[in-house]
Amino acid sequence: MTEAQDRAFDSFEVGEEASFERTISTDDVAAFAELTGDHNPLHMDDAYAQATNFGSRVVHGMFLAGLVSRLVGMQIPGKRALLMKESLEFKKPVHIGDRVHVEGVVTHTSPATHSIELGIQISVKGELVATGQVQVQVRAE
Amino acid sequence: MKDFNALVTEHFKIAAESISDTLSAKDIPEWDSMNYLLFIADVEKEYSVSFTMDEVLGAQTLGDIKNMLRAKSITI
Repeated sequence: MTEAQDRAFDSFEVGEEASFERTISTDDVAAFAELTGDHNPLHMDDAYAQATNFGSRVVHGMFLAGLVSRLVGMQIPGKRALLMKESLEFKKPVHIGDRVHVEGVVTHTSPATHSIELGIQISVKGELVATGQVQVQVRAE
Repeated sequence: MKDFNALVTEHFKIAAESISDTLSAKDIPEWDSMNYLLFIADVEKEYSVSFTMDEVLGAQTLGDIKNMLRAKSITI
């Protein structure tokens, strides 16, 4: 999907869901490290990561946060999104090659502020790896 | 449910003992437009109420916001 959903605030209801899946590649992790400057060996060095309890390289947590940005900016609410707040709790490591399922559910709508709150769940093979919340304003345009 | 002052402390980073009904955006550095909207959305959620845009834009002080809640039969 390269075109963002274009919906007005009034069209969102509590309980509505949106999701997508993506397999995280070595190139994804390298690109994120280059973009942010976070070359921590737990993310970038195979030998280092193998010697840790994690067994292999761990995907940056903020890469997952970036996928939440995609969910918000492209799907729910989409084009009119203005991200106001995002919080994530990382429960399990995500590794290169994992296919992550990113899902958001509308948990609150605020007509006065034209904002919606989404509950976020990120999972790999049905197992939760991160949970959180975002508050997004739906701009009138 | 978090009480009103706990929400004020959480969003505006002011000590509970410093909170009063007369405080406004002029008195609270963290009371910017974005943070105010986050605060209002949280108040709505915690008290299970919905405000109108006119109510939100008309509120100048913390006391005004508490009065908005009282007008919806919330004891505060």
